[in-house]
Amino acid sequence: MKESAVAERPAGPDIVLRAIADPSRRRILRLVRGQSLPAGEVARHFEMTQQAVSQHLKVLQRAGLLTEQRQGARRLYALRPEPLDQVRAVLDDLWPDALARLKDVVEHDLNRNQQEHR
Amino acid sequence: MNQPSTVTATVRISATPAEVFPYLVDASLLARWMGSEVDVRPEPGGVFAMNVGAAIRGTYLAVEPPRRVVFTWGLPGNDALPPGASTVEILLTADGEETVVNLVHHDLPADLRADHLAGWTSLLDRLRGAALSLPDRRG
Repeated sequence: MKESAVAERPAGPDIVLRAIADPSRRRILRLVRGQSLPAGEVARHFEMTQQAVSQHLKVLQRAGLLTEQRQGARRLYALRPEPLDQVRAVLDDLWPDALARLKDVVEHDLNRNQQEHR
Repeated sequence: MNQPSTVTATVRISATPAEVFPYLVDASLLARWMGSEVDVRPEPGGVFAMNVGAAIRGTYLAVEPPRRVVFTWGLPGNDALPPGASTVEILLTADGEETVVNLVHHDLPADLRADHLAGWTSLLDRLRGAALSLPDRRG
């Protein structure tokens, strides 16, 4: 069985965020989380056309969130969770950014008080 | 991979711990660096709520001036990180004429499981927006 991650280079967090912002695409990711499925099988879970499903699969693949395996004539899709780590990194930046603001605010206030007392 | 994880952050401030501490417990001071719509009652069991882009709700677990503050941190209605799910501890340590601020955020979900994608996406989108919309830090 051949396996290939179609994304040639890592997608940035914005591409990943955009990919998972759509509820249908999140449903697709849940479907292929524990199992590899062909596009036709994914489409059976949706009311939209197979073409629309293919479009969603393409967006997810471009974000690096799907692997594609070939099994004979069929292509099987499975979740590739690694890009989600980048999204997590956005949360990791929250506190360093906040503490930098804390430092600015405290030191600014102290400088201003000292100047007023001169 | 689903083990809870910890985020740490540190900063050095040219001030004493006693000068920094009010910025961890006073609503109008918190509003200048951590979030908006601050509603806090700084005592064990007291509310810790604000908007950091998303509405954060928690409870102070420890308030020990001028060295230590601990509060819970979560998002009402968010299955990835509900109120009470994670804990933030901030320690102030004097070092010469400076204060070292050590922050540890415990029990964050380690990965973004597919079940939680919706909650994470909306949270992270709002946090990114919030970074741009905080009041002017010099204000």
